[in-house]
Amino acid sequence: MPMFQPSKKNGFLGGGDGRVLDLDTAVKDGVLGGVGGGGLGTGVLEKLDLNKMIEELNLSTVPSVFICPISLEPMTDPVTLCTGQTYEKSNILKWLGMGHYTCPTTMQELWDDMLTPNNTLYQLICTWFSQQYVQMKKRSENAQGRASELLSTLKRVKGQARIQTLKELQQLVSNHSTARTAVVDEGGVALLSSLLGPFTSYAVGSEVIATLVNLTLCSESKANLMQPSKVSAVVDVLNEGSIDAKLNCVRLIETLMDDKGFRAESISSHSLLVALMRLIRDKRHPNGHLPGLALLKSISIHNELRTLILNIGAAPQLVELVPFLNPECIELALFTLEALSSTSQGKQALKDCPKTIPTMVKLLMRISEICIAHALSILLSVCKLAPEECSLVAVEAGIAAKLLLVIQSGCNQILKQQAAELLKLCSLNYSDTMFLSKCKLTRTIH
Amino acid sequence: MGSVCCTQQHRRADSDEIEQTAEIEDRIERESKAEEHIQKLLLLGSSDSGKSTIFKQIKLLFQNGFDDAELKNYIPVIHANIYQTIKILFDGSKELSQSFSDRSRFHVSDENKEIGERLSEIGSRLEFPYLTSEIADEIETLWQDSAIQETLSCCNKLQVPDCAHYYIENLQRLSNPGYIPTKEDVLYARVQTTGVVEIQFSPVRENKRSGEVYRLFDVGGQRNEKRKWIHLFEGVTAVIFCAAINEYDQTLLENETNRLMETKELFEWVLKQPCFEKTSFMLFLNKFDLFEEKVLKVPLNVCEWFQDYQPASSGKQEIEHAYEFVKKKFEELYFRSTSPDCVDRVFKIYRTNALDQKLVKKTFKLVHETLRRRNLFEAGLL
Repeated sequence: MPMFQPSKKNGFLGGGDGRVLDLDTAVKDGVLGGVGGGGLGTGVLEKLDLNKMIEELNLSTVPSVFICPISLEPMTDPVTLCTGQTYEKSNILKWLGMGHYTCPTTMQELWDDMLTPNNTLYQLICTWFSQQYVQMKKRSENAQGRASELLSTLKRVKGQARIQTLKELQQLVSNHSTARTAVVDEGGVALLSSLLGPFTSYAVGSEVIATLVNLTLCSESKANLMQPSKVSAVVDVLNEGSIDAKLNCVRLIETLMDDKGFRAESISSHSLLVALMRLIRDKRHPNGHLPGLALLKSISIHNELRTLILNIGAAPQLVELVPFLNPECIELALFTLEALSSTSQGKQALKDCPKTIPTMVKLLMRISEICIAHALSILLSVCKLAPEECSLVAVEAGIAAKLLLVIQSGCNQILKQQAAELLKLCSLNYSDTMFLSKCKLTRTIH
Repeated sequence: MGSVCCTQQHRRADSDEIEQTAEIEDRIERESKAEEHIQKLLLLGSSDSGKSTIFKQIKLLFQNGFDDAELKNYIPVIHANIYQTIKILFDGSKELSQSFSDRSRFHVSDENKEIGERLSEIGSRLEFPYLTSEIADEIETLWQDSAIQETLSCCNKLQVPDCAHYYIENLQRLSNPGYIPTKEDVLYARVQTTGVVEIQFSPVRENKRSGEVYRLFDVGGQRNEKRKWIHLFEGVTAVIFCAAINEYDQTLLENETNRLMETKELFEWVLKQPCFEKTSFMLFLNKFDLFEEKVLKVPLNVCEWFQDYQPASSGKQEIEHAYEFVKKKFEELYFRSTSPDCVDRVFKIYRTNALDQKLVKKTFKLVHETLRRRNLFEAGLL
């Protein structure tokens, strides 16, 4: 007889894919004739509930006998073919409807097209899922209770005990929505925020931030967290933390910025931007690039912060980084660069960086229209600053042919106009024939 | 015969020498290896920034503190501080009474004048008499004089040491014949550091000694030839730079330069030194308690570095606002003076009050944690 092991244990007995049913244990656990027991009357209700439970639980450890071989999803209406194989009713109907007259798994030709509802299996599925559901609900409630406990512990303890409490709270909050609600309802956010300050150790700071990112913060909490000493604590973790801790900081800052009462002044910190740039340029952890660039984009939207970004030398750093980024990241980087190029300091910084023009030229007609728009805008800003010098560089980099492509492409009108303007600017220093020779497409197509 | 004996003796002496040399070389190697594990911290900052107080605090926190003999050593220093203080105040009152239009403010009453002259004379000697109760009483009387109090309120023009209030308040105790200074008395004692002093210690963590060993160096703070010897501190793990933020309205002893501007210049200079390219920088914004008291009365803009300061509110919020402004200025200065390839070195700012032992302990714990993480990071473990 096949053996079933409850989901907590790990061993796989017998062949291939795992979970099998042990009758004795099943009877003891009440799987047979347990919660889902009953006749057809409760059938419909059970089905609805079953669908809901399957979705809510979203388990990856469902016993394989409950899985439809066609869709690989748990069955809510199992039917058996004459070959003895069981499938989800809707799936096997589709199969047969496509004209197949075989059993999908055994490949045998069917001598009988009858689909027998497999009540036994159905009952087992309902019971198993119900059990799992009840257990999960209990854990959630436990989570809620535990979260409350931890909050009160947090008010009392210090040192190592505090760190352990925070760690456990963070785990709870990230796994259970009930814990999250409990923490928010019981003033946990204010309590956690109070732990951030000038004397916060790394251990405490990183756990607090990891917990806060999972919670919904009201406007008041956000404003509270925007106090300089608390921002400093977050920046410290962003500077010194592990990659996960840094990502949490980025997320938290994004959340805090996303508020009506947000004042750009509260994050105008050199250390923050330096730490962010370090994250963006960290080759060891590419998963930090996208979040980092997204935050930088959000920051560059604020006029007052652009000077700060430029002051730490971010412009040339971004330009040098662009060729190594994936398309999504490039778009974000270009947005920031365009935002920076709207200031005179930015224009100067971009012009001074020798790689700006060649990099932007390369990006024309690649990736996406948004990128083209950004690249064009940046090129225009830079070239207008020093037309003679820049147009030389640009033309050598093959801008002419690229711009022609843009003008002839299906991009929107504004872009074409911008491209035309840029083309005119670049051609001013050349005679017609010379310029035409620079337009040779062969130079620019890779 | 004799010569053979001599040669034999020589040979024995030679082999002894060789053995000794080998032993010495062995010891050198072992000690150098041990040295490598000792992390060196350098205390820098302009004079009166609180470096030596931090030094004393570390001694009290992580070593065996001061024993009775060491404590008694401080008695002459403390007494000297008192004499110096009262002299500065008395002389100051005379000076101010000449330069201010409403000079009556600074006129010491006649009875006290005589006391003043006597104390001023004592204060100008190289060696001071032991502070007796009689002298203590006289000092107390003079201190109560309204002119002296007026002078005290203008103390930013004079070089009144910060310990003035504390010592005068405790005059009775300090002038007792059997007086032994307390830890706090010692922390307040002001003596100019000359040369270099060092202590070696291991930070204690939750009542357990951790493995790291630190050696802390305190170099004298006056403006002498720093550039000649600073490079000797290459390879130092961290520089602890002390800046007394309450001195934004004070001038130096030597000339009319604003003290905070002097600190700013020094900080800039230190940051640019090639020997500190890889060194972590811990900036202690010190004397926060005095800053707190002052900032609501004396606006920050009197210091030219802070001239663009705009007060935003009042009371505690204003103090915080002012502090954040000063902190940002230092941060700006740091990043301006740091070349792109040094940007990865650790830089953290701490708010301190070197006289508060608990605070120094908390602050040092954080410094220690940062340095540990830095070590792990550099070893590739983070």
